[in-house]
Amino acid sequence: MKSTMATMTVSLCGLSLLIGAALAGVDSLTREPIAKARENMRNEAIAEVLPDFDNAPSAQAIYTEDGQTIFPAFLSGRNVGAAVETYSDNGFSGRFTVLVGLDTLGCVTGYKVLSHTETPGLGERMCTWFSEAGTTHDIRGKNAPFGVRADGGDIDAITGATISSRAFLEAVNRAVETVANHIDELNEISQ
Amino acid sequence: MKALGIIFDGIVKRNPTFVLILGMCPTLGTTSSAMTGMSMGLATLFVLICSNVAISLIKNIVPDKVRIPVFIVVIASFVTMLQMVMQAYLPSLYATLGIFIPLIVVNCILLGRAEAFASKNGVLLSLCDGVGVGIGFTIALTILGAVREILGTGAVFGYQLYSADFGALIFVLAPGAFIVLGLLIALFNRLYAR
Repeated sequence: MKSTMATMTVSLCGLSLLIGAALAGVDSLTREPIAKARENMRNEAIAEVLPDFDNAPSAQAIYTEDGQTIFPAFLSGRNVGAAVETYSDNGFSGRFTVLVGLDTLGCVTGYKVLSHTETPGLGERMCTWFSEAGTTHDIRGKNAPFGVRADGGDIDAITGATISSRAFLEAVNRAVETVANHIDELNEISQ
Repeated sequence: MKALGIIFDGIVKRNPTFVLILGMCPTLGTTSSAMTGMSMGLATLFVLICSNVAISLIKNIVPDKVRIPVFIVVIASFVTMLQMVMQAYLPSLYATLGIFIPLIVVNCILLGRAEAFASKNGVLLSLCDGVGVGIGFTIALTILGAVREILGTGAVFGYQLYSADFGALIFVLAPGAFIVLGLLIALFNRLYAR
């Protein structure tokens, strides 16, 4: 088609309007499923890292000022621990977020890496490395502070990914610290 | 018959990765495993089919001088829709592929096919071209991802073939992507020349 000011303006504006409407339509259709999918993923992760509970931790969540979230868990009214959504900024390629499950004594019950950009095959192995049963790098059942062997701690770092390992343990330590700092609020919920 | 020929051409003669050498950014970035490579290929396939069809439909009412912005708007909106739908119904796939999805907008395969094919041909042929080139891209990314994953971690699609301790990690990292891609292009051209 010939390009005149009129045809160009009309076609660009018309197309933009049309596409804007289409995008708005898709957005309104998917908004609810997206929220539900996020909620499901979060609930599944909480159930994965904590022992049995019968409340809805995400409904009773405590949001800290520095962007962490504490999900308290109860079984027949008794506190069985909490899951903490925490983070580290010292990953090999920036921030990653971890959900750490802690029992009432502060021992780790499980964890799940929620999002990360670590190197596949190296730092990425932190997703399973720290929960390999029967190894010296299994952090479950242990209490903070955690540290890699190179720093004088007793947890074996992932071979070739000491920086990622260090950052991961930093996140776990932060989770433990966060629960300790908010212990009063947690007790209030349970009463 | 012509339609089938165009699909076949897209996969072999105009294979975007091995022959046209287009779309290298997602090719190198997402193929650290066979699964992510294939997912990226399929996502691109979907957008490519939609954008080719849409562009061949509107080609006669778009003034020549603004055709590139129009193509980009069309492609970008399909990518955004794909992103929303994936987030809603395939959240785990979105979690691994999420950051690469918006990059499909600037994948030059899409603009390349829009400019070189869809803006000059009818709807059916453009659809076939989208299918062919998309499948070609998917196959290339899957092969590249599989080779890198096997050499790097000893596994493919999650099946452990040999111990990961014998894997050469460099193949999973960026330099390995270039090495494997170069060798695969050489192999493809050798086979194709016969």
